[in-house]
Amino acid sequence: MNTLEIISQPPIPEHLIGEVQSKLAYVDEVICKAQISKDGQKIILEVNRPVDELLRQRVEEKIQRVVTTMTQGSFRPKVQVLEDNMSAPTLNTNDPMPELMQRGELHCEADGIFTLGPLVTRLVEFFEDNFIALAATFDAQPYRFPVLIPARYLERVNYFKAFPHSLTFATHLREDLDAIDHFAQSACCDEHGDLNQLPESFAKIQALLSPAVCYHLYFALADKPLPGGKMIATAVGPCFRYESINLTSLERLWNFTMWELIFVGEKDFVLENREASRKYMAKAFEDIGLAYRVETANDPFFVGEFRKQAAFQSAFQLKYEIRANLPFKNSTLAVGSYNYHQDFFGRHLNITLPDGSPVHTGCTAFGLERMAYAFLSQYGLDIQKWPQTVKDYFGE
Amino acid sequence: MNINVSLIEQVQATLAEALQTPIETITPELELGDLPQWDSMGHMEVMMMLEQKFDIEINNETITALVSVPAICDYLTKKEKTS
Repeated sequence: MNTLEIISQPPIPEHLIGEVQSKLAYVDEVICKAQISKDGQKIILEVNRPVDELLRQRVEEKIQRVVTTMTQGSFRPKVQVLEDNMSAPTLNTNDPMPELMQRGELHCEADGIFTLGPLVTRLVEFFEDNFIALAATFDAQPYRFPVLIPARYLERVNYFKAFPHSLTFATHLREDLDAIDHFAQSACCDEHGDLNQLPESFAKIQALLSPAVCYHLYFALADKPLPGGKMIATAVGPCFRYESINLTSLERLWNFTMWELIFVGEKDFVLENREASRKYMAKAFEDIGLAYRVETANDPFFVGEFRKQAAFQSAFQLKYEIRANLPFKNSTLAVGSYNYHQDFFGRHLNITLPDGSPVHTGCTAFGLERMAYAFLSQYGLDIQKWPQTVKDYFGE
Repeated sequence: MNINVSLIEQVQATLAEALQTPIETITPELELGDLPQWDSMGHMEVMMMLEQKFDIEINNETITALVSVPAICDYLTKKEKTS
């Protein structure tokens, strides 16, 4: 592997190192690994071909563009901690991934695509049952949403501008006998797993794999008044967010499962229910002794939108993230969030209250695989050492 | 609130420039969300333009407080008196 070092001018502020590092994956296809030094001055890249001056200039120019766009300006979001249970004792200090793989509890099909074995599946079901109980206390109406989402829907809520880097596109072969016959006879994958077909074989893209659950509900409510002026819904489903070289272990999956409790109505209705769901979950986390904190956060907006959108979200406290302790790496992992979108979806999708004003929306969302991974990171794989609540669920 | 005409006009001009909209659309009572342009992204454009033109510092408090023309004028008036 070849290494390329770039000096960042100016240095990347400490609070933005993680955000900038996650975007470096999308700078250039030659990058296989990216690391920013703790002082924010040095960017070390592993690249898949020998570094010449032309390559250095190309990558350096793009990286400086990313750094400048994401860091210029004086505003520094103030992180507010709403819950802090990080001192809860954790019994395990090892990364559970190697043992999960070795025991066949996980099978990696490709980067970010994992099959879950019986133990992890039951743990996922345990958390899902907890969330279903939460939804029941809100008398939430159940929904089932498709895996595919039309491109024109995502366009309508500015998703392409905010998160272009993580989109996953769906297509099919063109309706053409010659093209289909040609595909059937010639399709094969190379040593990298890449299909050997040209883009011309495929139809135009009209749908994507869905990046979030709650969007489907908002689209179902679009362009009409909201009956009764308020609603609470719940749904669970697969979500897809491409994270390039950041796809590692169960921490970052391309294909993951999100459970959501969704609030639609007036501002106070949404905010009160978001808060009530947070308090309910604080008790549920206490029951299993999860080491975590809840703090203000922002979505992973892409480079061009990042600075302004992140600052706005932080200032108005639109997102509270649940960050679980990962003892083996002395770090935390976002396992869920309590979100308030203001009237963004109401305005963009023309969903109205009885007085004609746009609805406000919010959601409480959890990544089920991440929940299981955080739990296993804190407790290990020996069920006998798990909290009684979880052992009871497993019949132990 | 005793806000001078000149300040309101300056604020209206600043918002019009930040939101890229005709100055006539920036009414004296305009609030965040009243114009499609004054959304989250537009608001941050407004904040940065105010920072630049009036030498104020953007922080969590200013972002959440300066959400209408009257609030901006009031804030700038108080700031002028204390400086």
